[in-house]
Amino acid sequence: MSTTTGAPAGAVVRLDPGTPPPARRARPRRDRAGYLFLLPWFLGMLFTIIPFFASLYLAFTDYNLLNAPRWIGAENFTEMLHDPLLRQSLKVTFVYTFVSVPLSLVVALGVAMLLNRGIRGLAVYRAVFYLPSLLGGSVAVVLLWRYIFGLDGIVNAFLGWFGIDGPGWTSDPDYALTTLIVLHIWTFGSPMVIFLAGLRQIPAMYYEAAATDGASRWRQFRSVTLPLLSPIIFFNLIQSLITSFQTFTQGFVLSGGTGGPADSTMFYNLYLYQQGFSQFNMGYASAMAWMLLVVIAAFTALNFLAAKYWVFYDN
Amino acid sequence: MSRRAVLRTAGLTGLGLGLGTSACGRGFGGGDDAEGGTVALNMVWWGDAKRAEKTQAALEIFQRKNPGVTVRTEYQDSGPYKDKLATRFAAGNAPDVMAMRMDSLREYADRGALLDLGQHADALDLTGLSENARALATVGDRTYGVPAGLNAIGFVVNRTLTEKYNVAVPDGNTWNWPDLARFAREVTRASGGRVYGTNFEAYTLANIIVFTRQRGEDFYTADGGLGVSEATVADWFGIVESMRAEGGFPPAGFIEKIGASAEQSYLAKGSIASQIIPTNNLLAFNAAAGGNLALLRIPGETQSVRRGQSVDCPHLWSIAAASKHRAEALRLLDFLVNDVEASKATGTTRGVPANSTVAEEIKPTLSRDDQAATEYLGGLQRERLPRSYTYPPGSSKIAATLESIAAEVEFKRQTPQQAAKAFVEAGRKALGR
Repeated sequence: MSTTTGAPAGAVVRLDPGTPPPARRARPRRDRAGYLFLLPWFLGMLFTIIPFFASLYLAFTDYNLLNAPRWIGAENFTEMLHDPLLRQSLKVTFVYTFVSVPLSLVVALGVAMLLNRGIRGLAVYRAVFYLPSLLGGSVAVVLLWRYIFGLDGIVNAFLGWFGIDGPGWTSDPDYALTTLIVLHIWTFGSPMVIFLAGLRQIPAMYYEAAATDGASRWRQFRSVTLPLLSPIIFFNLIQSLITSFQTFTQGFVLSGGTGGPADSTMFYNLYLYQQGFSQFNMGYASAMAWMLLVVIAAFTALNFLAAKYWVFYDN
Repeated sequence: MSRRAVLRTAGLTGLGLGLGTSACGRGFGGGDDAEGGTVALNMVWWGDAKRAEKTQAALEIFQRKNPGVTVRTEYQDSGPYKDKLATRFAAGNAPDVMAMRMDSLREYADRGALLDLGQHADALDLTGLSENARALATVGDRTYGVPAGLNAIGFVVNRTLTEKYNVAVPDGNTWNWPDLARFAREVTRASGGRVYGTNFEAYTLANIIVFTRQRGEDFYTADGGLGVSEATVADWFGIVESMRAEGGFPPAGFIEKIGASAEQSYLAKGSIASQIIPTNNLLAFNAAAGGNLALLRIPGETQSVRRGQSVDCPHLWSIAAASKHRAEALRLLDFLVNDVEASKATGTTRGVPANSTVAEEIKPTLSRDDQAATEYLGGLQRERLPRSYTYPPGSSKIAATLESIAAEVEFKRQTPQQAAKAFVEAGRKALGR
């Protein structure tokens, strides 16, 4: 391929050298390659910005997907205050988030610490532990979990050996969300990999110095590992919170799209989807989406404010 | 990375984007016409591969008889289908011909999205349909769909199990709800709890609608309101829960909603001895459950205030009001409804042909199970059944509410009375009354 033409013939992106405006120096060619690389992002933004503003507009309309949207002002938002199912969906989402995020971070850090002690075949372990995260949100895995946790599934067979009569983990409204939380904790792979990278960056001399001063392992963990790892913990926390608030697939698959049994897996986003696509209330669904944005933004802001007190940047 | 490599990557990226955008321009199976001046109809439905095979066979015949028209079809599972259809209408890319759920009909029709077929009697002949069948898609004086076939719900009993445990099967024409409870109790007891006597979904609208009609009430009234009383809903849940307490019905949480297919059913697994099914699924259920099912009517048909069962349909065929190929779409529906060859090809995958003459004509060519289902339905068609009304807009919400409230009752979080009160309140709200 010659280096004198930008893109090969047939590509849609044409680099038209054109004539540069007289007042300005023609940009060096290497800039153009840079812009070329940015192009996918620009195009992606285009596909994001338009729906973004469209949904903002729709949030203030009554839109049933079939007729033109009708402007109703803030009615969707006042309707939300009186919607018991919306309250239930917020409850489900909050419970899920506040239970599963801390637990999965603790597990991720624990496993990362174990792997960090330099076992042989680290790469293999790292990959194996990371695997569930790649699969966790997928339909196949949730279905697999249904079979594992079913009334006559593996879990209950195991409990049966000890004479325990297990519940229907996915069909009983008291347990369905618990099952999903366990599934979420099982996908601790991505924070774990990030923790592992963070642990590797802590200089060994700190530990040596602490050991010389007679610090116990626990003391070393508290006074060396945690402070130096705090930026990484902070990053993982924000990431996990955001993904957790946006949970959809797990609830959708486990309940066959209903949020059942008895609305116990009615995640906020699942309810939003039902409103938009099953009940033809796309205006209301858009308003819900913006409300979620506000909730997530508020939590992230709170975390950043609180971070001053516990996140330690070692410069 | 050398400059050459950078540029090569950039070129490939450009290429990829080019492909991406050109693919979008084609739309997703919209009504863009095929080459050579022929009209391409887009037709969508839900179902499985077997139904697709039979549908395709009928469409081949249609295309042979109508040169110049090609039919492009898409199908998927019923859950995703519902959501996708709404999205396509919203995107201004409605299919020409579509399978329409009974509980979605008015959600589309009342908003002007569907063609009034009654205006096109010259192109689409509906005179072969019985009054009951025509009424299924009639709103006021307009007709927004044609039944793709007719079915009803029926009670199937696995005779292999009843013979094994030596339990008499009640007379399906005269039995009532207490008879069902007694039968279910006996099966569970005789099998030592290995098989539960019966199970059916308390949360399925079609089931509670029959029960409601038996009691002399209309679940949905003629003017689109909620006619079912709290007492009726409470009794409905009460019947199920008392059977559960006696052991005739499986315990709470026993039934997992893993899938809807006959092969995955608990009837096929042999863990229950009887259940309610749509009659057009008799063939599949009988094949999956060992081939010895008896088809009974719903309990309480002869001993209640009035008949509860009605002739129903698995789905309707509707045409989009915005369809650019109205004439061809009407021709296709006329073919599917009135052409004997079409029904021979499709069999009873969507129920008994809606046109009674066609139904009689193809009956000898059907398998034994399909003939049984056809006779069952023919019997119902000849009887005087109270009229049923189309599901008003908002019934999707009602179906969802019933499902969630039924689970509350199943797990004893609410008594049948509390659940009935909650359901009727939520139902009235969903219908905007």
